[in-house]
Amino acid sequence: MDMKNRVIDNPFTLNEGQTIALKLTINDEQYELQVNPTIKLINLLRDHLNLIGPKVSCGIGRCGACSVFVDGVLVNACLLMAYQVNGKHITTIEGLVGVTIDEVQQAFLKEGGFQCGYCTSGMIMTVKSLLSTNPDPTEADIKEALAGNLCRCTGYGGIIRAIQSLAKSKVAVQE
Amino acid sequence: MKSNIVEKEGRVRPDGYSKVTGNLKYLTDLTFPNMLYGKVLRSPYPHAKIISINTDKAIKLPGVEAVLTYNDVPGMNRFGIIVADQPVLCEDKVRYIGDAVACVAAHSIQAAENALKLIEVIYEELPIIDSPEQALKPQAFKLHVGGNICHQAMFSEGNIQQAFEQCEAIVEETYEVPRQLHAYMETEGGVVVPENDGAITVYAGTQHGYRDRFQLSRILGLPEKMIRIVSSPMGGSFGGKDELNIQPYAALLALATKRPVKIHNSRTESFKTSIKRHPMKITVKTGTNRTGKILAHQVKIIADKGAYTTLGPAVLDFSIEHAAGPYIIPNIETEGVSVFTNNGVSGEFRGFGGNQITFALESQLDRLAELLQIDPIEIRKINLRKATDKGPLGQRIAPTDGAAQVLNGIQKLYEKTNKQYSNSQWKRYGTGIAIAMHGGGLGFGRLDSAGGRLSLNKEGQIEISFGFEECGQGLLSVIENLVVEEIGCSKEDVKIVIGDTAVVPSSGSITASRGTSVVWQSLQKLKDPFKQKILHHAGKMLHLPEQSLYLGPGGVWCFEKQAGPCLTYKECVEQLIDNTVETSFHFPVTPDAISGGHFLYSFGGVKVDVEVDLLTGKVKVLSIDHVVSAGPVISPHGYRGQIEGGGIMSLGYTLLEEAKMKDAQYVAQNFDSYLIPNIAEVPFETNVYAIEELYEGDSYGPRGVGEIGTIAITPAIVKAVHDAIGCWVSKLPISSEEILEHIESRGMLEWI
Ligand code: FES
Ligand code: FES
Repeated sequence: MDMKNRVIDNPFTLNEGQTIALKLTINDEQYELQVNPTIKLINLLRDHLNLIGPKVSCGIGRCGACSVFVDGVLVNACLLMAYQVNGKHITTIEGLVGVTIDEVQQAFLKEGGFQCGYCTSGMIMTVKSLLSTNPDPTEADIKEALAGNLCRCTGYGGIIRAIQSLAKSKVAVQE
Repeated sequence: MKSNIVEKEGRVRPDGYSKVTGNLKYLTDLTFPNMLYGKVLRSPYPHAKIISINTDKAIKLPGVEAVLTYNDVPGMNRFGIIVADQPVLCEDKVRYIGDAVACVAAHSIQAAENALKLIEVIYEELPIIDSPEQALKPQAFKLHVGGNICHQAMFSEGNIQQAFEQCEAIVEETYEVPRQLHAYMETEGGVVVPENDGAITVYAGTQHGYRDRFQLSRILGLPEKMIRIVSSPMGGSFGGKDELNIQPYAALLALATKRPVKIHNSRTESFKTSIKRHPMKITVKTGTNRTGKILAHQVKIIADKGAYTTLGPAVLDFSIEHAAGPYIIPNIETEGVSVFTNNGVSGEFRGFGGNQITFALESQLDRLAELLQIDPIEIRKINLRKATDKGPLGQRIAPTDGAAQVLNGIQKLYEKTNKQYSNSQWKRYGTGIAIAMHGGGLGFGRLDSAGGRLSLNKEGQIEISFGFEECGQGLLSVIENLVVEEIGCSKEDVKIVIGDTAVVPSSGSITASRGTSVVWQSLQKLKDPFKQKILHHAGKMLHLPEQSLYLGPGGVWCFEKQAGPCLTYKECVEQLIDNTVETSFHFPVTPDAISGGHFLYSFGGVKVDVEVDLLTGKVKVLSIDHVVSAGPVISPHGYRGQIEGGGIMSLGYTLLEEAKMKDAQYVAQNFDSYLIPNIAEVPFETNVYAIEELYEGDSYGPRGVGEIGTIAITPAIVKAVHDAIGCWVSKLPISSEEILEHIESRGMLEWI
């Protein structure tokens, strides 16, 4: 594993002098960083670590475009301060790809679960989170799990079909 | 009838992999060395005189590199697609709360924001005009030198006065439709990078790169050839990024500081400054004979233009044109006025005035059907256009059976599945249908140039270029699929070049459902000369007659030898000098000189089922079926996505969305209070049925489907609500209060 040491100044603040130390793991890489206490997790990821997969669309926790995992739990990265994830494991969409792309990503490709793609990384993280706890979700489960992720392009049809294709194949495998 | 469009096994969008992995760099994701962050100071008042602007304190703030005002605009301090009436940076007056007064570039966003607070602007507040009715009063003050009327348009045929006298049934109503936010998930933004020789590159989303270049050239006083626009990909646009947004500010700041400048609007900034769908009040009087044949139709439209023109006149013209929709009405009089106010600017939005007017028209038909006790399908049939009828403005159009095709399709669905839900004590169910006709392209008398380029590039790729942008609509798939189909190569052979004025030909704007049409028509013109050129060359190289060769996957194939290409494209291009064919043409237009009249139309029909909750007054859409007639489907996923997504966008328009203004200030400014449909609010299954047959002899190919899925949804939902509880809604979004009042007044709740 790479050990990354960096001092991060924040383009979002004037108090350039103040920093705090952070140790965290992002997509299986360890980072030791000096960050400004006022930086948000989403800005740390996007503006400093070049992890641009998570997006900002509302900035207030209403759209899910910034969804990432913190210790495996789905969160809105626009609502967390970087210091709140000290010592934790972060996974972004970039971390989902192993040797091949994840089955959720594959399903989105096959079923046309996106158009502009701006909501897609957040959607995929959310679907991943749903299926990891509930491999065969009902309509109500899907609606509840995805209600915090907005998509303006698809009308959700392709996204629903992508989830259903995975749920169904899981059922088939179990049988 | 179920969805009949299925993606061929394994076929994915060219931009798919990069989108699902999060690797695609949108233009707002770009950073450059030495980059500064820009912010724009907007007016806090909807209407005020600017007495003075003092930037002294702001420029002294550490980290701030430039603070610019109108004095620093080297060229024309105005922009606007049709009429350049919007100040880039206001000189002496602000007319709405999005008006820009100054802009700042600094080392950090925070520094830029702090600098904005230090700019001292002294305003003298002026009274506001916050409704078109107020603006039209004779004593109203003038918002622009030319007065408060931005545009007026009309169309008439026959004699409505006489015709109304003969009518057996007349319905008159005023329909009110709200201001809608595009709500593209990627807010406006990008980076402007100064280049060595005084030129700039603008990395920012737009729907017509060349037009941005033209507008920026005027503003910056910089020759067009010194401006390069990179405008693709985008995280959605829907018409909303058609007009300039942050580009002028980032460009001015980049030129002033000689450093790259990034501006990316926050959602709140986007909300305040972006254009919206025109709010309209549409008063309609429609009369029929006893059997339901419409004899007279009178329409009056008042549109709230907001402070500036942008594409407003064209939107109003479109509403006027579509006032009769797919129906033949012998006596019609339509007039419209688009009026300046101090409200937010209204402009181009998917559907382009068609949504508003079709809601009014289809609702009139439903009300008349009720009055006359005829079936809603029947009244439409009686009035429906025939394939070779003229267009709605009396202009000749490409013959099309689309209207009948979609109405028949909807009828089948309606008869099969009507009343599939049964009412319960607290819930009522209803079904509604509606159809729509929608013009593609810009219309007669408007510069609507199209074109593309095809070449075998030095890497041995078949390179296809268009001056278009990928906003998410699926243009790249359309291009790839068509090139593979028309040329015969494989998709691995294809390289698509779009969205960069340095390398693309002019194709016109990626608006008006014209993209697919232009790509297909261009390829019809390009493919034969291209094939000839390559085959001629390959024939010489192989010492074989051209006729024995054809273009196939990976290269040039011989009919004789089927094991693989005899010459790869890479080998073929080595000695090929003349490797390019290019075409430019005008988008197909009616031969009749009727301003704005379209030639190519697509058609959409919708059937919806709704549930009305008698306790909460909430309307829930349970199913949506679309029938679309727009020619062959090129990219099934893209087609379905456009229709389904467009439908849900209009579901939002009908049930949820209103960018309300109070005293010319936006009430909502983010997704906490402006609600767009989430997954819980949409039907789980939507069916899209595509009718691909074109009228016999039609040589115009597939039509774009970016808009048609949005149009008929609203009247269908409104009719379904009526079917459920007997309430005619004429004001959008449908309000629960209105529904509850109706339920109460009818005593529909058992315990009341
Ligand atoms: S950007 Fe975080 S939820 Fe919208
Ligand atoms: S694909 Fe564009 S917002 Fe979801």
